[in-house]
Amino acid sequence: MKKLVMLLAAAALAMPVKIMAEEKAMETTPKEFVVYSDKGNRSNHYIPSGWMGDYGDIKMNDQAAESPKTGTTSIQFTYSAKRTQNQGWAGIYWQNPANNWGNKKGGFDLTGMNKLTFWARGAKGGEVLQKVIVGGIKGTYPDTANVEMGPVELTDTWKQYTVNLSGKDLSYINGGFGWATTADLNPDGAVFYIDDIKYEADPALKPETKKQEAMPFYIYSDRSSAKNHFIPSGWMGDYGDIKYDGSSKEDPYLGDTCVRIIYNGQKAQGSGWAGIFWQNPANNWGTIDAGFDLSKGTKLTFWARGAKGGERIEEFKVGGIMGEFSDSDSAVIGPVVLEKEWKQYTIDLKGKDMSYIIGGFCWSANVDNNPEGATFYLDEIKYE
Amino acid sequence: MSIIIPKALLSIWMKLSTNKKLEVGSQKAEDGKRSVSSFSVFCFLSSVLCLLFAIAGCSPKAKVYIQKVKGKDYRLIVEGRPYIVKGVCYNPIPIGKNHEYDWWGDPRKPWLADGKLMQEMGVNTVRLYQAHEDLEKTRTVIRDLYEKFGIRTIIGDWLGFWEYPCPLYGDAGFRARVKKQVLDLVAGLKDEPGVLLWILGNENNYSCMGSVNPWSSEEIDQEPDPQKQKALRARTYYGFVNDIAREIHKLDRDHPVALGNGELAGLEYANQAAPDVDLVACIIYRGKTFGNLFRSLRMTFDKPLLLSEFGADAYDAYLKKEDQNMQAFFLESQWRQVYENLAGQKQGAGNCLGGTLFEWTDEWWKHNQDSPDGWAAQDTGAGWSSGSYYFDIQAPGNKNMNEEWFGIVALSQDPEGGLDIRTPRKAYYVIREFWKNPSEKAKVKNKKAKPQGKI
Repeated sequence: MKKLVMLLAAAALAMPVKIMAEEKAMETTPKEFVVYSDKGNRSNHYIPSGWMGDYGDIKMNDQAAESPKTGTTSIQFTYSAKRTQNQGWAGIYWQNPANNWGNKKGGFDLTGMNKLTFWARGAKGGEVLQKVIVGGIKGTYPDTANVEMGPVELTDTWKQYTVNLSGKDLSYINGGFGWATTADLNPDGAVFYIDDIKYEADPALKPETKKQEAMPFYIYSDRSSAKNHFIPSGWMGDYGDIKYDGSSKEDPYLGDTCVRIIYNGQKAQGSGWAGIFWQNPANNWGTIDAGFDLSKGTKLTFWARGAKGGERIEEFKVGGIMGEFSDSDSAVIGPVVLEKEWKQYTIDLKGKDMSYIIGGFCWSANVDNNPEGATFYLDEIKYE
Repeated sequence: MSIIIPKALLSIWMKLSTNKKLEVGSQKAEDGKRSVSSFSVFCFLSSVLCLLFAIAGCSPKAKVYIQKVKGKDYRLIVEGRPYIVKGVCYNPIPIGKNHEYDWWGDPRKPWLADGKLMQEMGVNTVRLYQAHEDLEKTRTVIRDLYEKFGIRTIIGDWLGFWEYPCPLYGDAGFRARVKKQVLDLVAGLKDEPGVLLWILGNENNYSCMGSVNPWSSEEIDQEPDPQKQKALRARTYYGFVNDIAREIHKLDRDHPVALGNGELAGLEYANQAAPDVDLVACIIYRGKTFGNLFRSLRMTFDKPLLLSEFGADAYDAYLKKEDQNMQAFFLESQWRQVYENLAGQKQGAGNCLGGTLFEWTDEWWKHNQDSPDGWAAQDTGAGWSSGSYYFDIQAPGNKNMNEEWFGIVALSQDPEGGLDIRTPRKAYYVIREFWKNPSEKAKVKNKKAKPQGKI
């Protein structure tokens, strides 16, 4: 009997110990990892130190007290779109430690987290962030993931946004959060607020499956359209011969702007030809896994005209970027001799595999056929 | 139309035709009477069979032909058996010489050393871009490779692509001369048992776009629209190829005729203008994958596909050192895709016949072609750029393709002045193992691309 009492007593003592151990285990598996909650909060991680592009266009107030989402402060950004550094875009990376572009160790192991959430609002509504970024810093100590989401059109009230990180390797993340936007998307600048940026563990979240993009899928509609995709970043050949204006108001075909391209044929790099690829993301020559699934598209259409008429474009093309992550196919028309009036051109995509496209659109021209150079205009470039 | 030959008749004919005692001209007296009567029967039955074949409009199968499988897939049949082309492009220019060197007349007969190495690897085909003008020299090489090593030969012809000032495909005189040249070649070699097929042209289609060796004609010059000019050139060129293909078929029923083509460019015109070619032989450099190539061909010009030139170089232009692993990685991946698209494969397009990789040995003359001093040294300069070969794309100017390093067999000079020493690279062994067991998983693992620097 004495033995039984002792066993019961031992069991009674052991039970709370077991429960306490389980609670301890729960505590050691964090459910969130905060990037910013309030100014000076001890749970904050990363520093918004990586100012990029037209950094002179950005002002930051990390203790804006005006209507924060929670707590006492949010971060206010004022983007002037003045192109101070002549880049046409700007953005900020949150890094650890400050200004770490991958040249030193500092990334956090965020294994176990599977999404990043943040709240944002515009001062007026309609402000557009081209993209928000998680990871993607390279260098000697590169991030293990590179995830982008966007464009994001803000409203004038707080709204939560989520970046799905399921299935991503988050074992080393130095670029904890970032945003970027362009002057074309915000021609009059933008004032916007961000609050409560954090990584979370959400057991119900599944990895994002690749979706087929709905048609029409615009490459260029108007300069500030959030519908635009791909960036005209892939300048080729005599890139010094090219001037690109994505917000030309010279007789656009539709809307208030069109693309104007001036190719002066001076052979700045000695190639005798030049061209531009619209890429996703910017400067992706097949090194970043970021192709759009445009399988629903059966053609790409665009409108074009020459300043004088008679300008000869050797090729208009979709796809064809080859790299570790190659475009799944390519299609081309040309040579095309432009007329002075707007004319629609079509690249037929029937039978093409458009399931993975990084190079959304491209043109190329040469000096042999344009000895005086060529000025031409493009508008309403879209997959249908 | 089909005919049914009575089994008994067939068996008698077979027996008679294989009975050595009944050979024509048998002089053995004791068998004389029987021989004569049996011979009469044999002749009679043979005549009947020939007549039946003629009536039926069908003739004995060609030695090499393309068979349609399940109504859509294509496979090559050689001597009655399916044949996957496991080949290499062959141009054994020795160290210190350039493309003008007459290797066919080299007394050391490099093809004998190479044939042995090829046989050990499992190569069953070599591709020669152009026959020697002395057909007897060509015959010797074909015969040696076939008789000693069982290796068949694909014979190509440039179709005057490199003639000065340009290949005048719109000119009747030019066409007639080139056509005669090709038909003489076919007539001279068609009965060689080692011949596999003919390839007409290589990347000649690029001349139709004006990008290489541009040419024109009066009709084309009168057309103001450059897109229509391109179309006119393409129709003219592919029509010319078709004309030659048709004539070859009249001359040689035993071997298919391929249209050589750079990528798939222009084949939408070939679809209309070149129905008589039997297959397309494409030159493709797309890195680790051929992408949508096989299905895309089905959409534009539904013919069987031979990958007549593809591969990877073995020099890392970024790190400035030989990288056999890189070459082996790309080549294994490419061969895997070739096999996935053979006839009868569930996932593939079913239109691939195999390939001839570029190339067997390095060629040391290619980078500085005008400098004889450079022919004796293996130049590490890269001649062109391809992002598909992404490991070394960060080389200066993005030039990462090293023309002198495409061989799966490296060359080095023999100190005693003999044939250059052949040293197989890693790709040689990797492909050899792949061919032995194509269903096995990849053995050369991908490696991380080099860091791209700051964003």
